[in-house]
Amino acid sequence: MSVTQLSGSNRVEKNGTAVFLKVKKHTPDAVSYILLIIYAIASVYPFLWMVSSAFKSNQEVLTSKSLIPNEIRFDIIVNTWNTLNFWQYFINSMIVTVAVVVLVVLVYSLAGYGFAKVPFWGRDFLFAGFLAVMLVPGVTVLIPLVQLLKALGLLSAHKDQIIAYTGLILPMVNGAGPFAIFLFRNYFSKLPDELRDAAKIDGASEFGIYMRIFLPLAGPAIATVSILNFVSAWNAFIWPSIVINNSDWFTLPLKLKDIDLQQVIQWNVRMAGSLIATIPLIIVFLILQRYYIRGITAGATKG
Amino acid sequence: MAQANISAIDKRQGRPRKSFRAILRANSGFLFVAPAMLIFLVFGLYTVIYSGVLSFFRWNGYGDFSLIPFKCGPPSCQFVGLDNFTEFLFVNPTESHYFWQSIQNNIIIAVVVTIGTIVIALPLATALSRAMRFQGLLRTLIMLPTVTAGIAIYYVWSFIFQSDGLLNNILGTFGLGFLQAKQGWLSQSDRALPALMIVMIWGAVPFATILYMAGIQTINRELYESGILDGANALQLLWHITWPLLYPITVIITITSINNAFQGYEMVYLMTGGGPAGHTEVVGLQVFEYGFGSSQQLGLASAMSWLLFLVVFIIALINLRFFRAKD
Repeated sequence: MSVTQLSGSNRVEKNGTAVFLKVKKHTPDAVSYILLIIYAIASVYPFLWMVSSAFKSNQEVLTSKSLIPNEIRFDIIVNTWNTLNFWQYFINSMIVTVAVVVLVVLVYSLAGYGFAKVPFWGRDFLFAGFLAVMLVPGVTVLIPLVQLLKALGLLSAHKDQIIAYTGLILPMVNGAGPFAIFLFRNYFSKLPDELRDAAKIDGASEFGIYMRIFLPLAGPAIATVSILNFVSAWNAFIWPSIVINNSDWFTLPLKLKDIDLQQVIQWNVRMAGSLIATIPLIIVFLILQRYYIRGITAGATKG
Repeated sequence: MAQANISAIDKRQGRPRKSFRAILRANSGFLFVAPAMLIFLVFGLYTVIYSGVLSFFRWNGYGDFSLIPFKCGPPSCQFVGLDNFTEFLFVNPTESHYFWQSIQNNIIIAVVVTIGTIVIALPLATALSRAMRFQGLLRTLIMLPTVTAGIAIYYVWSFIFQSDGLLNNILGTFGLGFLQAKQGWLSQSDRALPALMIVMIWGAVPFATILYMAGIQTINRELYESGILDGANALQLLWHITWPLLYPITVIITITSINNAFQGYEMVYLMTGGGPAGHTEVVGLQVFEYGFGSSQQLGLASAMSWLLFLVVFIIALINLRFFRAKD
C-alpha cells in the first residue's frame, strides 16, 4: 500500500502524518480504544454511581449492584434540597467562590500586569518573593492564620456573616496569589510593548492603559485563572471547616460532612447532596474546559 | 508622529531625574502590585514568620502568643529552643513513633503514587493522542474526576471500599479473592494505605495524562517514521522514542506528585482520619492534629510543619536545578 493511497483514504494531507498512520497499523486503533474505554469507565464510574444512588432508595443503594435504579426516585434529591435547606448552603458556597474568583482576578491581573509591563525598583526581587512563598505548605500557616483572624476580630460566630466570610476569603485569595500572578505575568509579557507605547503617546495614564487596552485582551488568562480557582474554592474543605463555626454559614462541603453527624448514614441522601455540590463544577468545566486544560499545562511547565 | 515616538522612547530609557516626583513616577508600577503586596504581607509573610517563631515556643493555645507586639505569657507559653523539634524526632517515644510512621507513609505514598500515575498515564496519553474519533469526549471523561466535589469523591470511594463493595466484588470475580479486604479496605490496617493510594492515583492520572498529551503533540512524526523503517514495534517506539523525549514531562509529574504526597492530608483526614491505629497517618495530618485536635501543642505543630517545609523546599531546589540544567 502506497503512502498516497493511505493519505487519500484517510483524508490526511501531510506526508509525515500519513506515515504515522502506518504506526497505527502495527498497533491497531482497537488496542488504543480498548485501553481508553476501560480507563474512561474507571474514571467516571464513581461519578455515575453517585448520580444513580441519588435516585435510589437507601435500601436499593445498599443491595443493588446495578447503576440503573429500579424505580427512579426524584423525591430524594428534592427532599435533600428542601429538608436540609440546601438552597442556603448553595448560596453560601456561591458567595464564597465568586468572591474568591473575582478578587483573585482583580488583584492579581493588576499585579501580573505590573510585573510584566511596568518597570519599578525591586520588581524582580518582589516577584521571586511571591513565587518562593508558593513553596510553604498550606498546613504550616494554618495555625498563624487562625491566630491572625482572632487578633483582627474576623473569627467569631457572634458577628455577622460578612465579617466571618472576609476572614475566610482573604487567606484563600492570598493562597491563590502566586500561581495567578505567574499566569497573568506570563500572559501580559507575551503582548507587545508597542501597545503601551502607542497609548502613552495618546496620553493614556498607566492605569488607563491596563484597564482599556491590556485587561480586555486578557480574556484567556482570566478564564484560566477563574476556572482553576472556582474549582478549588468550591471544593475547599479544611480551611472553611476551621474558620466557619456557625452552621448557618456553612458552605456545601461542610454541610455535606455535617449530614453524617446528624443521622444514620443515608447513602442516597449523601449522594444527592454530592450531586448538588458537583453540578455547578461540571457546568463550569464543560464551558471552560479548554482554559482549564491550558491552566494545568501552564501550571506544570512553570517548574 | 515618528518624532514623538522617538522622544517617548528616549524618555523611557533615559535616567530618571533625582527629584522626588520623578522617582515616584519611575516606580509607579509598584502601585499595580500594591494590593497583592498588602494581602501578601498580612496573610502570607506575617503568618510564615509567626509559624517560624512559634516553633521555638511551647504553647497550648490558651492566653496570648503574638508577634506585634511580641507577647508570650507563661505558664501557658514559654520559650523552649529546639525542644519541639527534638521531642517529635526522638525524645518522646509515642510522638516520635507516630512521626516516623507518618514519614514512612509519606515516602510510600510518594513512590507508589508517582509510579502508578506514570505507568497508567503514559499509555493512556499515547492512546488518546492516536484516537482520531471521540478524542474530545474521551478526554472529557478522563478529566471528569478532577472537577468532582472533594467530599463526594471520598463518599463514593468509601462505599466502593466497603467489605461487600465494588472493589472486593471485582477482585472476587477475577479470581483474586486473596487480595480482598474482608473487613473493608479502609478499616483493615494492611489495606487502608493501599486504598488511599488507589484514590490518589485515580485523582492524579487525569492531570498527568493531559501533560503527556501536550508533550506527545510536540514530538516530530518523522522520528516514528524512521523507527518503523528500522522495524521497531509499538512498544519499542514507546520505549525508545516517546519515553526519552517526554522525560522532562515525567520529571514535572514526578516532582508534583512527590510534592502532593508530602503536603496533602485532606483525603486522609476525610477517609480514614489517619487510622486504623495510625496506619495511614501522614505528616500533614499530624501537624493538623497537634494544631486543632483535642490537646493542642501549637509550638510542636509549627516545628513539625517547618520540617515538612524543609522537605518540600529541598524537592523544589532539585526541581530548580533540573530546569536550570535544561536551559
